[in-house]
Amino acid sequence: MKQAITMPALSDTMNNGRLVKWLKRIGDPVKRGEVIAEVETDKAVMEVEAFHDGYLAGPLVAADAEFPVGQTIGYVVDSATEAVGEAPPPPPAQAPTRPPAARAPVEPQQTRPPAPATPRDAGVVGRASPYARRLAQQLGVDLGAIGGASGAIRAADVLSAAGPTHIPDLDAGPPYRIERNSSFREAVAQTMIASLATPTFRVTAQLLVAPLMALAKERTWSLNVLFARAAALAIKEHPLFNAVYTPEGIAHRERVDVGIAVDTSEGLITPVLRDVAGRPFDVLSQDWRALVEKAGRRRLAPAEYRGATFYVSHLGIFPVVCSFDSIIPLGACALLSIAAAREGTALFTLNCDHRVVFGGDAARFLQTFENQLTSVDKLTQ
Amino acid sequence: VTQEMLYWQALNHAMDVEMAGDESVFTLGEDVGLYGGSYRVTEGLYAKYGEMRVRDTPISENSFTGLGVGAALVGARPVVEIMTINFALLALDSIINGAAKIPFMSGGQFPMPLVIRVPGGVARQLAAQHAQRLESIFMNVPGLRVAVPATPQDAYWQLRQAIASDEPIILLEHELLYFTKGPVDIMADPPPMHRAAVRRQGRDVTVIGYSRTAILAQEAAAELAKEGIEAEIIDLRSLSPIDWETCAGSVNKTHRAIIAEEDCRHAGAGAEIAATLAERCFYSLDAPIQRVAGLDVPAPYNGALEAASIPRVPDIAAAARALVQAKASAAP
Repeated sequence: MKQAITMPALSDTMNNGRLVKWLKRIGDPVKRGEVIAEVETDKAVMEVEAFHDGYLAGPLVAADAEFPVGQTIGYVVDSATEAVGEAPPPPPAQAPTRPPAARAPVEPQQTRPPAPATPRDAGVVGRASPYARRLAQQLGVDLGAIGGASGAIRAADVLSAAGPTHIPDLDAGPPYRIERNSSFREAVAQTMIASLATPTFRVTAQLLVAPLMALAKERTWSLNVLFARAAALAIKEHPLFNAVYTPEGIAHRERVDVGIAVDTSEGLITPVLRDVAGRPFDVLSQDWRALVEKAGRRRLAPAEYRGATFYVSHLGIFPVVCSFDSIIPLGACALLSIAAAREGTALFTLNCDHRVVFGGDAARFLQTFENQLTSVDKLTQ
Repeated sequence: VTQEMLYWQALNHAMDVEMAGDESVFTLGEDVGLYGGSYRVTEGLYAKYGEMRVRDTPISENSFTGLGVGAALVGARPVVEIMTINFALLALDSIINGAAKIPFMSGGQFPMPLVIRVPGGVARQLAAQHAQRLESIFMNVPGLRVAVPATPQDAYWQLRQAIASDEPIILLEHELLYFTKGPVDIMADPPPMHRAAVRRQGRDVTVIGYSRTAILAQEAAAELAKEGIEAEIIDLRSLSPIDWETCAGSVNKTHRAIIAEEDCRHAGAGAEIAATLAERCFYSLDAPIQRVAGLDVPAPYNGALEAASIPRVPDIAAAARALVQAKASAAP
């Protein structure tokens, strides 16, 4: 009996996974639930478990290549003798391919003719270069509606059919080379594009932080956790900051989960501290240390970095940063950006979703936040 | 400290520096001693270092290459010159079964600091048995490194790196390059031996060449630029291993690739390069990868036919034009 191992969907937003490495070799015995491979999703490196007892069998897909969710990446068979490997098939794509649906909100193409009823995969349309096909998919161009002058459809045909695009004209500037986006970078880019639709405003407060910072240093408290905690306690008094705008109405959250920006070697990630207002400070600190350690190894599970209702970003370790603001990820109402302290004070900038809260709300929130910062006992309870 | 040097002078200087710096470096081959080498690469070394370290050999390629393998096994750093790559066919057992295998079969107990220098390529009417490249034969042997310097600077750097390396390395020198001139900076730090060089930046098409075709590709690019076609020229510098990152990075940018090789088209180096780039860059390609290669015939003796049997500058330019114009004609 030959059971296929498929690329698992390890997060809601995952369309492709990059196989980082196989942890078993062909012919190795595997047990149900045992980890057999590592896969890089849009944000983290995750483990793939076997669903059956048996022996790992080929053909295994090559490591360091990307595959769509659901594709067979290897097999589990009943006996070691069956487990004969073959050469790995090449990856289907160097660049991620996405179902067009995933793109739709990003690249609205209302002016395009509706998609034909027949699937427009390879073979249905006439000849087109691989690059032209990829561009057509990214730009939402229907290959069936254009014909190449020289027979095959080329990139230039697709670009002219697409009209003005958001692709920068690189030829105008200095020499360059293209490095493929990592899954991580592409995921961040898509999140940022998705958050563009949020109408934001910002309010900045100058708050005294020297006493708290001195105390934090003495007691080895994490400033990130202190700021997240102060924000969560302020949110308890201003619950709109824990709400999300949806076309159906405002979604009011019942618990305050705070995402805290962490700068890793691969880029930005926001591990989420759960129930920051409702749990003791020392438990939160413990959780935070574990999250930071996992983030450093890129082992955060999606459940550990998604679903924050409020965000904190602290650039205090860079003394040159006197003030900054941030983009609010989809699903949150506000984000607090904390700059480096100067002469005992720091600038706290609150970016807000104007569909949920208004300037006065932001001012009141910051007022309460300042009170929380000064009541250290309550903060560290 | 940059000075103008001929390609052979750069190799000669590299030999001199390495021999002066390390007593275990020696060279052997036909006419390398008293005569100074058929292309003058060992000129003056016999007088300076004596017959023990600059050894003339009989016409016996498998034997003296085997001698080099044995010397490398016991700690010397031999530089074997085989007079032309056509004669290296006689030494294939020493090269493939000896030099390339012993480090592996001894579990790494024996390093193989062996350098084999071989002139090759189509020169001027030397006829079919003296006008081969054969690089794809050596590319197909795991355990061998194959370096293909196109400039005096690379000849200097790569020969020195080859002598310093503990791996067996074949240096393919093109016979028509020995008397080309170029700047050589003997103080500069060399790039890794296998790193490809982007000789010219361009946006429209990538032309990948090596050895003499890297030079021809640059001449073609200069012509194309007058017509508004910007070709990016990559000089591979090494055929085994090949610097795929540089090649793929360029093809992902230009979406078109041409490989210019003097070797015969069938199962040549270009076939390997085209196949790997198709694997790595498939979704970036806007046109089929093209090869501009030598014809699948033994090199003709007749001068006009000989010249027509290998890629010339207009051939490379025409291939680039055809690829790029497919783009231009497609625009409305």
